[in-house]
Amino acid sequence: MHIEMRNIYKAFGTNQVLAGVDFDLASGEVHALMGENGAGKSTMMNVLTGLHPKDQGSIFIDGTETSFSNPKEAEQNGITFIHQELNIWPDMTVLENLFIGKEIKTSIGLLNTNKMKALAKSQFDRLAVSIPLDKEAGSCSVGEQQMIEIAKALMTDAKVIIMDEPTAALTEREIAKLFEVISSLKKEGVSIVYISHRMEEIFAICDRITVMRDGKTVDTKPIPETNFDEVVKKMVGRELTDRYPKRNPQTGETIFEVKGLTKSGVFRDVSFSVRAGEIVGISGLMGAGRTEIMRAIFGLDSLDSGEIWLNGSKVTIKAPSKAVESGIGFITENRKEEGLILDFSIKENMVLPTLASFAPKGIINEKNQSDFVDMLIKRLTVKTESAETAVGNLSGGNQQKVVIAKWVGIGPKVLILDEPTRGVDVGAKREIYELMNELTSRGVAIIMVSSELPEVLGMSDRILVIHEGKITGELPMGQATQEKIMTLATGGQ
Amino acid sequence: MKAAINEGTPAAKSNIFGSVTQKLGPLLGLIILFIIVSILNPSFLEPLNILNLLRQVSINALIAFGMTFVILTGGIDLSVGAILALSSALTAGMIVSGLDPMIAILVGCILGGVMGIINGLLITKGKMAPFIATLATMTLFRGLTMVYTDGNPITGLGENRLFQLFGRGYFLGIPVPAVTMIITFVVLFIVLQKTPFGRNTYAIGGNEKASLISGIKVPKVKVMIYGLSGLLAALAGAILTSRLNSAQPTAGTSYELDAIAAVVLGGTSLSGGKGRIFGTLIGALIIGTLNNGLNLLGVSSFYQMVVKGIVIIIAVLLDRKKSA
Amino acid sequence: MKKLSVLFMSLILLLLSACSMEPPGWAKPAKKENLKDIKIGLSVSTLNNPFFVSLKDGVTAEAKKLGMSVKVVDAQNDSAKQANDVEDLIQQGVDVLLINPADSAAVSSAVQSANHIGIPVVTLDRSADKGKVEALVASDNVKGGEMAADYIVKKAGKDAQVAELEGVPGASATRERGKGFHNIADHSLKVTAKQSADFDRSKGLNVMENIIQAKPDIKAVFAHNDEMALGAIEAINSSGRNIMVVGFDGNDDALKAIKEGKLDATVAQQPLLIGRLAVDAGRDVLQGKKVKKNIAAPLKLVTKK
Repeated sequence: MHIEMRNIYKAFGTNQVLAGVDFDLASGEVHALMGENGAGKSTMMNVLTGLHPKDQGSIFIDGTETSFSNPKEAEQNGITFIHQELNIWPDMTVLENLFIGKEIKTSIGLLNTNKMKALAKSQFDRLAVSIPLDKEAGSCSVGEQQMIEIAKALMTDAKVIIMDEPTAALTEREIAKLFEVISSLKKEGVSIVYISHRMEEIFAICDRITVMRDGKTVDTKPIPETNFDEVVKKMVGRELTDRYPKRNPQTGETIFEVKGLTKSGVFRDVSFSVRAGEIVGISGLMGAGRTEIMRAIFGLDSLDSGEIWLNGSKVTIKAPSKAVESGIGFITENRKEEGLILDFSIKENMVLPTLASFAPKGIINEKNQSDFVDMLIKRLTVKTESAETAVGNLSGGNQQKVVIAKWVGIGPKVLILDEPTRGVDVGAKREIYELMNELTSRGVAIIMVSSELPEVLGMSDRILVIHEGKITGELPMGQATQEKIMTLATGGQ
Repeated sequence: MKAAINEGTPAAKSNIFGSVTQKLGPLLGLIILFIIVSILNPSFLEPLNILNLLRQVSINALIAFGMTFVILTGGIDLSVGAILALSSALTAGMIVSGLDPMIAILVGCILGGVMGIINGLLITKGKMAPFIATLATMTLFRGLTMVYTDGNPITGLGENRLFQLFGRGYFLGIPVPAVTMIITFVVLFIVLQKTPFGRNTYAIGGNEKASLISGIKVPKVKVMIYGLSGLLAALAGAILTSRLNSAQPTAGTSYELDAIAAVVLGGTSLSGGKGRIFGTLIGALIIGTLNNGLNLLGVSSFYQMVVKGIVIIIAVLLDRKKSA
Repeated sequence: MKKLSVLFMSLILLLLSACSMEPPGWAKPAKKENLKDIKIGLSVSTLNNPFFVSLKDGVTAEAKKLGMSVKVVDAQNDSAKQANDVEDLIQQGVDVLLINPADSAAVSSAVQSANHIGIPVVTLDRSADKGKVEALVASDNVKGGEMAADYIVKKAGKDAQVAELEGVPGASATRERGKGFHNIADHSLKVTAKQSADFDRSKGLNVMENIIQAKPDIKAVFAHNDEMALGAIEAINSSGRNIMVVGFDGNDDALKAIKEGKLDATVAQQPLLIGRLAVDAGRDVLQGKKVKKNIAAPLKLVTKK
């Protein structure tokens, strides 16, 4: 099957995710798709399989213009998307998972288990895997679950399989197994779109590579004609603009330090320190464990071992309330689910961590509270008519400002920002950056986790790169480049 | 950015409008109910009947006040009826064995609070769903009541005047249980609207994760709320014990459902975060008025159940329409 | 400190003096002078039991005959609801209250509130522990127990071995029926087994099975109610033994069992009659006549043929 995507445009609201993408896939090739987080890789594939309708452009399949209205239709036409988040029903058996929604029935409408078993077995033989069919899918390893998904795809006679970060959670052995399967599929004429951040894998198994950036195709080249450095450069190759305000760091003493933080299977031996007035950027790929480390520091998840030091004394943080008492604020990556109570007003949200301070005698002093909230709204330039407006009615940028205001209100010593500008428009982004500058000028230490490399480079005084739960490098501002970060983040040297 | 403001304005206005109807809806319903019943039977509005009504409502209202806090956090407490029975049996047992009745009531209320705290610990430390945890303790507490009373009512509670006043007496012409209910209402209203504890209650129901991350001690608040629910159930039990001059092992059966109905009729959302204790008071009055009014109208008890069920359905449907 | 506690104590005294056990004068309903249209209030413990439904029917039929009106409320076996129900009846201005208590102790306060207003109370089937009750209309359970024992003596012979299935321990029906039975049985029969089966059919079955095992020479069983008797019959049938069974109450299942020859006899209560006698007692009280404190409703021995 030959697929050609021409000049595809797709926007979510005002966010232009795809801005004229071209992509073509030949029969029986393994085609790598690379790009930064947010470059539009997954969106492009979702447009192809009909999950998102395209705004503009055309898709040709074997020369005929085609447009699927939903993933099921794409699947019936031989195109299957195996998502990073696997579609597994953990409490059902492997067999039930394989045939979910397409069960084979006998003439009287009962499940034809024998036929399904035979079919499943033949697919597993083709892939040379041996997972017991009556095993609960949830108790299979991630590698096995991946194989179940691939077998599922093959049973629908897939001609094209799209794999999004298939190796993210696999062991070395499982990866080797996957690669064997990919090469045998290739021999059968199945095409594979391989989305991955792992450079070495791409050079090991792919035939061609397409690099995307900012919703556009940068280049498509056969693998032998390119190299590691060229790909990285193309991925990140954009100039830093004045989207970032100038930083004048005046850093003081080290006020926050973690030593040997470990949580088995998630991250290990993480140690770093932050000084007053400093912004430390934490970079790494999705799933590298950045957010998990921050959650553990804040007391949301438990630690297996490690120490946290604040102002020179060791603190034990078993719950977020303890972190807040110690002067640590946490702006999570998931604003709507973890940062805000959407039905509540701006005022009610802003005073959440500081309620007790307005009620020295038990009863909340409404006047003091309102004054405080008005001050915060002004200081953070939250655009609203009234403090009583429900935050659910605000724009993303203003919502984020409310979250930050909440933490500014506690007078924090350390502020952890996880993806501080996700879903925030450009203008509000700049305001948030300026706010970060203002806070550090008052001596607040900021730890900023971000998937946007330019943001990390533009705002950090120092950058820590995390790869598979470990800090793989520390780059001072002057020496950090996107290429260096990318290399460290993908496990290169 | 301009767009965001323009978007925000009408929504904000409709919110204010929504909260007005949310506050007044149940009250309006109560007034309409009052008018209908008093047209059909004028003796409904006689002073003695209004006093009766207040006394009849007080037990359900007290339980429903505690249930309001629980439901505001997005939880549910099915064990209140059983806590009422067990604490009232224990109270009566203490009185029979010679303890001063007022001290016995105090101890009984504390024991009820402890039973509620057990619920809270099962839910927070044991990570059990509130429905399951309180379903289990409901059976457990009811069983303990049966074990303790051997299935028989506890009688012979003596002639202590204070104790008798507690459930049956009048204070300045108002039934004492009604006075207890009103005082409790005022205290809880202030707690819910004017203290950090109350705000935390709303916040947990609004978004538990965000509340936790904002440094609210979610487990502690929840344990306190279930404790409060148990305490209020025990207080209601003490009133019932005095009123019936005995502790009945089957007392409080299905009271949890009446309390939940009162909370829901009062406009509190079962998913938590939204609601008012004033609404619960009105909700309890609506249920009480239905019971009392339908009795006065001579409607058979079987039809009374039918009517109550229909009223709850209509109330919730109207509520959904408003919020849609 | 002392001043404060004096202040506190006097405040408490002040508050207490504002308390009373009676409703305020302004809230009491005006007393009716007219005795012509008598209105009866009936509070039944439950209408989920045929016995009490018949009792209610007896009341309404007799009232209709005498030209009185009746308001019926159903407590659904909940004492707290019954207290509310009685208040509501008082509110409706009934002239006389007929109460069939869900619980003798718990009904006291309801009776007392009626006393405060001056409405006479007649209780049915069960009594009230406190408060002024004009009359209690109930089956003569002692007499019924004696009737059952006499019948067994007649059929099974003097000094026959018999078993007794008792009701819920401590319940008045258990005490009285047992007392009547033993009045005769203690000198004319040999009661070799005596156990409680809580008025429950399935418990009656289990207990009887045990008795048959332990005492093979049993000739007859007296059960304190029909439910237990019907349970005992099941046990006897499956053991293949021939033991006569006498129940108490005369409910529909039991009467059917007698017709089919499974049950030998039952001491039938007459709930319709209890209802009728209660209305009559109420009328007499209102007319100022003297009524007996305990009015016994006669029982009827129902046997095969």
